[in-house]
Amino acid sequence: MTETTHRWTMAIDLDRCTGCQACVVACHAENNVPVVGEDEVRMGRAMHWLHIERYWVGEYPNIQARFIPMMCQQCENAPCEPVCPVFATYHSQVEDLNIQVYNRCIGTRYCANNCPYIARTFNWFNPEFPEPLNEQLNPDVTVRKRGIMEKCTFCIQRIHDAEHVAEIEGRPVQDGDVQPACAQSCPTNAIVFGDLNDPNSRISQLAGSRRSSRLLEELGTEPSVIYLSGGDAHVS
Amino acid sequence: MTFHITRRDFLKSSAAASSLFLVSGCTADLQKPVWMESYVNPPEETLPSENFWFASTCRMCPAGCGVIAKVSNGRVRKLEGNPEHPLNRGRLCARGQAGLQELYHPDRVQQALKRSGDRSQDQWTPLSWEQAIGDLAAGLQDVDPDRVAFLTGYLPHYQSELVGRFMKGLGTQPPVIYDAQAAFDGRVTLAAASQRLFDTPALPVFDISQADVVFGFGADFLETWLSPVAYSQRYGDMRGQVGKRGYFAAFGPRLSMTAASADRWLPTPPGTEGLAALALGKIIVDEGLDRGGDAIDYQALYQDVDVDAIAEIVEIPVDELTQLARTFAAATQPVALPGGMLSGHANGLDAVKAVAALNMLVGAGEEGGMKLTPEPPSRDLRRAPVSSFADVQALTARMANGDVDTLFVLGANPVYELPAALGFADALASVKNVVVFATLMTETAQVADLILPAHTYLETWGYEFVDPGFGEMTVSAQQPVVQPLYDTRDPGDALLALANAMDGDVVKRLPWPNLVNFIQTRLTSLQLLDGNFTASDTDTFWAAWLQHGGWWSQEAAWTPPTPGEGFGKALAATPPRFAGDAGERPFHLIPIPSVIFGDGRHAGLPWLQEAPDPMTTASWDTWVEINPVTAQQLGVANNDLVTIAADGGEITAIVYLYHGIRPDAVAVPVGQGHEALGRWASQRGANVLSILAPQTDDASGQLAWLDTRVQVTKAEGRRVLPALESNLGVERFRQQSL
Repeated sequence: MTETTHRWTMAIDLDRCTGCQACVVACHAENNVPVVGEDEVRMGRAMHWLHIERYWVGEYPNIQARFIPMMCQQCENAPCEPVCPVFATYHSQVEDLNIQVYNRCIGTRYCANNCPYIARTFNWFNPEFPEPLNEQLNPDVTVRKRGIMEKCTFCIQRIHDAEHVAEIEGRPVQDGDVQPACAQSCPTNAIVFGDLNDPNSRISQLAGSRRSSRLLEELGTEPSVIYLSGGDAHVS
Repeated sequence: MTFHITRRDFLKSSAAASSLFLVSGCTADLQKPVWMESYVNPPEETLPSENFWFASTCRMCPAGCGVIAKVSNGRVRKLEGNPEHPLNRGRLCARGQAGLQELYHPDRVQQALKRSGDRSQDQWTPLSWEQAIGDLAAGLQDVDPDRVAFLTGYLPHYQSELVGRFMKGLGTQPPVIYDAQAAFDGRVTLAAASQRLFDTPALPVFDISQADVVFGFGADFLETWLSPVAYSQRYGDMRGQVGKRGYFAAFGPRLSMTAASADRWLPTPPGTEGLAALALGKIIVDEGLDRGGDAIDYQALYQDVDVDAIAEIVEIPVDELTQLARTFAAATQPVALPGGMLSGHANGLDAVKAVAALNMLVGAGEEGGMKLTPEPPSRDLRRAPVSSFADVQALTARMANGDVDTLFVLGANPVYELPAALGFADALASVKNVVVFATLMTETAQVADLILPAHTYLETWGYEFVDPGFGEMTVSAQQPVVQPLYDTRDPGDALLALANAMDGDVVKRLPWPNLVNFIQTRLTSLQLLDGNFTASDTDTFWAAWLQHGGWWSQEAAWTPPTPGEGFGKALAATPPRFAGDAGERPFHLIPIPSVIFGDGRHAGLPWLQEAPDPMTTASWDTWVEINPVTAQQLGVANNDLVTIAADGGEITAIVYLYHGIRPDAVAVPVGQGHEALGRWASQRGANVLSILAPQTDDASGQLAWLDTRVQVTKAEGRRVLPALESNLGVERFRQQSL
């Protein structure tokens, strides 16, 4: 395998995001993300690969709520990578993505401790899929077991699938070929995914927007997720 | 020389040899060729580990979005929005995504069950469909048809038609069509308002995609109202217009998820949203900013409106109202939304009319964003309207009087979703034979005498005339994407079988041999119309209809509203009216239709149980949102338990300090508090619907589900709300006491 020519990037338009949770459930469905149950959620062990943070701004009655979908930011300079003693989390040259190798992971949780975005989740128990609920599992994605760390992969199975199809058809991967589950489901089209190395892609255009920014940029993590800030009202 | 044969050659030759051989036997009968099918050849439309996609219609709410189902190895693995479908354009909401778990729920009702003990005992005997249908047919043969009743939810279109025909065939009253979702949507009130103002019961639709100003009056259109994915799509378009960004202001007592996306939230007292719309309209007329044409005499329409008085009631100063009115009137395309929350008050119909008038005032009749859903292209595709709450009250009274011997329930869960004060559960005791169609054991199924196991929507056929429809006239296709998992049937098919098993007129109303045949006859009128595909014959039409996921018109078919006679009457400024004494019960109770659970019917699905509520990030439990100032007065803090007491009963919930709610109101999400509905829903949280006062809007007959007053008092103990907020991280062990 050779190094990729792609620079997979996600943009989330916070002006469109309504916080509706469609992406969250779509992610659970696509990536076989376990449901941990009431008590574990209470202990802060919910396993959403993608969760939506809600922030209050102001006080009643001049109060606003703001939503920020949060997932692995696929950092170019990822703090989680150098701390893994077994190279379970590492930066793949093949996809230029931050990869979690489940069968290397020994569950030290160092990576999660080091992630400033709180994007990683840990399997404290074996997931349960009482029959026939196991039929919902996506055959293209590994089911993880107890003691394994996991996180958003940018739906790498869909990236590989698109690359495979393009190869069979003898053409390069085109803009729009890859859609992660969250972007595909999003009712307001708030999530755009694509190749930043393709100057004509939608993501490249959005990356140049004056509304664009990346989270905790000052840490030098170089995230691959771009957030587009909310717009200003044109009337009062 | 050795004979060389490869493994591949061997398999080839043995396959050829085995595919056809003659059975030789003693008798001539057996001397027929027998085809042997290799195990290697998979069933039709299945290739091992290849994905197949089938288009169908989502039934997780009544909107009728198109879905495509990814099927591999004969099992559906994922649902996506159908990109061709004009309603949702490839998008899907959280509930739609979770549809798989309706199908694969481990607690599905797998076969017909007959009660073996009395209703207090949970004892059931399985029986075959033939026996169940046979028993039912024999039982119905002897009863007086007037003693048979049918209660349904707002069903999928095809089922609604079949139930209506079944009751007509029996020669008795039509089914009562009611569920909590239909009440939250305000379908009855919207239809009544259209009837009075535009002389048609068509539901209004609002095109906000090009709007530069949107005023939402109690409109949670991004969450649950009528067609949330379609509205979310148009909302995204509105925000992302080239060169302009639509402005959105939300009126209502609580900062809902939808209002959180607004540029401005105006916390009006409960039930006064319609009054605010009236004041805005009056100001626009007085300032001569109206551009609705001469068809309506706006001066006369607003003659009874006193802006100063309303400003005091809605707690918005006249200056600000004037400013808002001018903003609205100055916009190129302003849109005002009469949301489902309006219909939840006793003045609901007047409020919806006020908002409709506000749209007309700024030219909605021609170029504006307000449209009406078109009539179906043929009588075959019309459907019975939702019944009013008054009809449910009448049915309950009939049952309590002992006037009903057999009650069918389909697509509704009245024991859970009706206010306990209505007494439906008690009235059921007087019904001899309760027959419930169910996929999961519901609270109503638990007290049934016969449970008929139903297909989930992913296992059956159907169609839906999309109502309210956005732009294109749309008839959405539903088809099975998997073989049924259990010995279940579509309720429609069961009714056809029942009709066939009975003598008399019923079968004349239901003459079709099966569901597919029935659906095909419903669709014949579409073949001649200009749509998304052309088909010369029925078979081609059917194939294309399934392939595309439905039929829709090429052109936008919604119609601009034309003012009817109702506009000749002055609009009424009706104040809200609440149930419960204001002194004894100082707080307004706001039940929150859940973006996650809808009206509670999807609480059984683990993906949805764990999905955080957008505003509180909480899951798995029931909380009550209280303004921090109010909480201080009550002496309660986060995670304290409180008792919420109404005239009709009380519930316990966890306190959540919520900055976006008026101090005189408390809000509780709908959906939890089930006693049944499978392992993930039962015995969890509280059911806020049970304590609502059974008060109605007299003008429309709709349940005033937002009109209940409550008292909130501190209860014993605390329970930590399972939430993501301030609770994320690797592992933060909490103190045991917390």
